[in-house]
Amino acid sequence: MENIYKPDLAEVKEIIDETADTRTLRLQFKDPEVHKAFSFKAGQFGEYSVFGEGECTFCIASPPTRMEYIECTFKLVGKVTNALRKLNVGDTIGLRGPYGNSFPLEQMKGKNIVFISGGIGLAPVRCITWNVLDLRNEFKDITIVYGARRVEDLVYKNELEQWKAMKDVKTYITVDPGGETPDWKGEVGFVPSIVEKVAPSGENSIAIICGPPIMIKFTMPVLQKLGFKEENIITTLENRMKCGLGKCGRCNVGNVYVCKDGPVFNYTQMKALPDEY
Amino acid sequence: MKDYIITAENIQLLVNDVLKQGWDVVSESKTGVNFNAIKDASELAIKSDSKPSKLSMKDFFFPKTEPLFFYRQSHDGVELVDASPIEKKTLFLGAKPCDAAAIPVLSKVFNWDYKDEFYNKRVENSVVVSLKCNYSDDYCFCTSIGLSQKAEQGSDAMLTEQQDGSYFLHIVTEKGDEFFKMYSQYLKDTQAENNKPVESKYPEPAVKFDQGKVKGWLDANFEHDFWNNLGDVCLGCGQCTFVCPTCHCFDIVDENCNYHEGGRMKNWDSCQLCLFTKHASGHNPRDGQTKRYRQRIQHKFKYYEDKFNEVLCTGCGRCTRGCGVGIDIGGIMERIDKF
Repeated sequence: MENIYKPDLAEVKEIIDETADTRTLRLQFKDPEVHKAFSFKAGQFGEYSVFGEGECTFCIASPPTRMEYIECTFKLVGKVTNALRKLNVGDTIGLRGPYGNSFPLEQMKGKNIVFISGGIGLAPVRCITWNVLDLRNEFKDITIVYGARRVEDLVYKNELEQWKAMKDVKTYITVDPGGETPDWKGEVGFVPSIVEKVAPSGENSIAIICGPPIMIKFTMPVLQKLGFKEENIITTLENRMKCGLGKCGRCNVGNVYVCKDGPVFNYTQMKALPDEY
Repeated sequence: MKDYIITAENIQLLVNDVLKQGWDVVSESKTGVNFNAIKDASELAIKSDSKPSKLSMKDFFFPKTEPLFFYRQSHDGVELVDASPIEKKTLFLGAKPCDAAAIPVLSKVFNWDYKDEFYNKRVENSVVVSLKCNYSDDYCFCTSIGLSQKAEQGSDAMLTEQQDGSYFLHIVTEKGDEFFKMYSQYLKDTQAENNKPVESKYPEPAVKFDQGKVKGWLDANFEHDFWNNLGDVCLGCGQCTFVCPTCHCFDIVDENCNYHEGGRMKNWDSCQLCLFTKHASGHNPRDGQTKRYRQRIQHKFKYYEDKFNEVLCTGCGRCTRGCGVGIDIGGIMERIDKF
């Protein structure tokens, strides 16, 4: 009998501490055949489980163009993330997926792309960013704006350096005023004001945005001022989920199931949702 | 499909025969509380004029708790063990039409895109013989949502109590036909015109509303003061969702037997409980009972219809009968209809 709730087993290959409370796990399926057959699109998510503790929903944070590892990045907040945090290299976790829709990669080709994220919101944006960068020639100008409250809250620090070093990518890393350290060389200021300074005009451009609600709220009018059409502003939503399969009934916003119809929505679709997310 | 007459005595004989074949036979319990797997035909309670039992029979298709698989942890890693296969054949006898009708409604959500074979296997292994209903009270409203006291949705065959005390048996599906062919010695062939049902002592359900109009109002009024009043009354206990034949929200949790072993369980959950949608961060999209009660009504009478073209309700009235503070879903529908 086919069992849609049964995960595949994966092994923790590497652990990367991003910040004091945020960690990335690099995973490989135990069965090489399963690993080879696993494919996903940027923006999709998985259900990660620690047996005996339960399941947790995160986006797949690594890009589909780099399939050696499947990566997830999580913040220590609840029961399962606490259990994930206790895992060591070589330990086993369960992984099922990929679920949900994805970023519209084909529609993004030939356009300027601006990636805007804040805090741990970089995880899904990082996935699509590397996906785009690995196919660099198919896109026009690429701008990355990423911010966190303090320098120590920035995630994927090595990769931020790699992006900054790329000549054909404009990268702006910012921290909130007061969050800088004496040797901080990046920007100081809130994400919306940085976007206003550095983003391309909305003509032939697509914005990918993910971060705290307050950041999104104040960035939206900036993007609209720059001439971004609503359908070209794309975000990814999160809600509490259990099954990820459109059955357990908790992630819906109105008649939209975030796990099946999302998690990726454009601003036109977001505006049509009732205010309950 | 074919029609038969079966006497009350022959129903008893048939049931004992079915039990002897190793099947489970499930019927409403004599206490009127729930559905039970009976051990002998003498435990049967087939009454067309009884109130619907407090609990529906969805438990037999979508159990309160069921293992999805088991895990065993050792130094060498983790081993996953499948839950035992679902093989038991079950005859449901005397279900009310409003109970049987829930099965195809639930099949929609358990089968869009991903297929929940736990549910499907149980449906596949069952034969549902419903009983034409001769009951109604202030809380029934099957007739307002496209069903009736003799609706055949979800039934493989339907019994109708006759004036002479026997039962008219109408076969609805191939599966029902196959089943009763195995027990033809208890049946007598007949024609539809020989169906002489007993008169119901009760009038048709009094609650009346136009689901189309209700849906129209729900489409336009996600925000409305009406919801506040309901939320103020509701205790958030979740009983309405547990007794409901169509509510299907569930949780997935690991339950440990000991430090190394346990099972991943699929357990009933309820959109009326305050932690249902709460994120680990503390943010809760439905952070008050008003929002949670609105979700229940909207899900049943709008969202499910938007997605699956069906109302997530069979009008059985259980949620209202069991509500500790008297929230009356039929009454709510009538009020919405009059807006």
